[in-house]
Amino acid sequence: MAVASLSTVALSLAVLGGFLLLMLGSHGFVERQLARFEIAVYMPDGATQQDAERVREAILRLPLTEKAELQSRELEWQKLKRSLSTRIPEGVIGNPLPYTIFVRARDARQTESLAGQIRRIPRVESADAARESFGHVKALADLVKLIGIVASVGLCLTTIFIISNAIRLTLFARRHEIRIMQLVGATNWFIRVPLVIEGLLLGTAGAALAVGLIATGGQYMVALVQRGLPVLRDLSSGVAPGQLLVALIGGGAIIGALGSLVSIRRFLKA
Amino acid sequence: MRRRLLCSFADRELWGDLERMIELTDVSVVYPNGVQALSDVSLRVARGEFVFVVGPSGSGKSTLLRLVYREFLPTRGRVIVGGQDVTTLPQNGIPYLRRRLGVVFQDFKLLPQKTVWENLAFVLRVTSVPRREIRRRISEALDLVGIMHRCDSFPAELSGGEQQRASIARAIVNNPPILVADEPTGNLDPDTSWGITQLLARINARGTTVLVATHDNQIVDRLIRRVVALDVGRIVRDQDKGLYHHEPEQERVYESELAES
Repeated sequence: MAVASLSTVALSLAVLGGFLLLMLGSHGFVERQLARFEIAVYMPDGATQQDAERVREAILRLPLTEKAELQSRELEWQKLKRSLSTRIPEGVIGNPLPYTIFVRARDARQTESLAGQIRRIPRVESADAARESFGHVKALADLVKLIGIVASVGLCLTTIFIISNAIRLTLFARRHEIRIMQLVGATNWFIRVPLVIEGLLLGTAGAALAVGLIATGGQYMVALVQRGLPVLRDLSSGVAPGQLLVALIGGGAIIGALGSLVSIRRFLKA
Repeated sequence: MRRRLLCSFADRELWGDLERMIELTDVSVVYPNGVQALSDVSLRVARGEFVFVVGPSGSGKSTLLRLVYREFLPTRGRVIVGGQDVTTLPQNGIPYLRRRLGVVFQDFKLLPQKTVWENLAFVLRVTSVPRREIRRRISEALDLVGIMHRCDSFPAELSGGEQQRASIARAIVNNPPILVADEPTGNLDPDTSWGITQLLARINARGTTVLVATHDNQIVDRLIRRVVALDVGRIVRDQDKGLYHHEPEQERVYESELAES
């Protein structure tokens, strides 16, 4: 019975932990794609480098700005010439590219707001936040976050239910023993405390096993996913393994103890 | 304050002066399914008495005993055990009542994962008895019931008679003033049944009040003690020295033999 309960707890928590890692990884991945978006701020024709520097400083003073980099016109012109497969059209004399400042927002979701503020700075020709693409990625990020939260809460509740049931079955199997203890004069707390401790140990041991399962099996699964979808190469969750270990073990212990405490009540009627 | 009162209720010295150990007054029990198990039962058991509660199956014997150790409350009436009204006992006082009662069951109810010794030790640990005292009391109890040589055995390794002796040892290890036995010979052969009955008589001889519910007429007729007969939940006979079935001729013969001896 103990082995059955332990494996139930371990598997439930392994599924929960693996799912949470996957959700956190997906969320982190999408957020990182969102953070890659930059605002391209274009200076008007005829603007000097000093003009561009002044605009850059004004942009840096905005609270939403994380960084602003003035691109070298010459370097960009050389890159463009190399990338053009045809010759440069006739009539193009010198470097036709304007001074361009690439700006990144502190919060990727505030990119469009920041672009709006930059457009109001004098001497700025235009600020392009790639609105349409950004909007799609932002919508995807919000959806992944929502799905992650809903699914995580649902899976958490399911895991709690499964573990509580496993504990309830263990107690049911010992109901005669509990009854005998009552008949010889054991108080409810005398009966309850060892069983709650047992539940806590069951939850802790199950969680430790789950962490082992995730650590060994999880790496293999991630490699499998990334081989199929190279774009997900950067599927790290941003959550340190140690944090997940502590959270899972703590969660397992709490569920085990609380599950025992709640389940024992129905067996303690005198 | 409340806990001290409850614990003092468990104190044997408090009980020692009481003449009426068990008293039921106008007790009726109706189960949730509507079955009337006991009807207007009044019974007094004095200190040191040995009482057989007899009757056919369904007559209310077990129900009466279960009231004594507060497994449930009567529908009506009062139950007093050791001077305490157990019908008004709070839920958290029930363990302290049971520590001062020894209860023996037909199915023994030994903890299967513990040896005989550990089964008895558990009862003493529940009442916080010191370790040295635990050893002494268990040895005494096992000697009295005659299974000291089986103290390290698990219940599954014992015969029916040995299990019942272990159960009786557990019931008396705390020196309870009252011993309640519900069909203690129900699962045993006649010879073993008589052995158990004699053991209960020896315990009674030490001063413990003994209440035995049984439908085993052989042990009742051989021991000849007070008989309370139940039928359909009512007391139909309460006889000082009676047989299982009321047989005035036989009882007169016995009384005259007793007088001669």
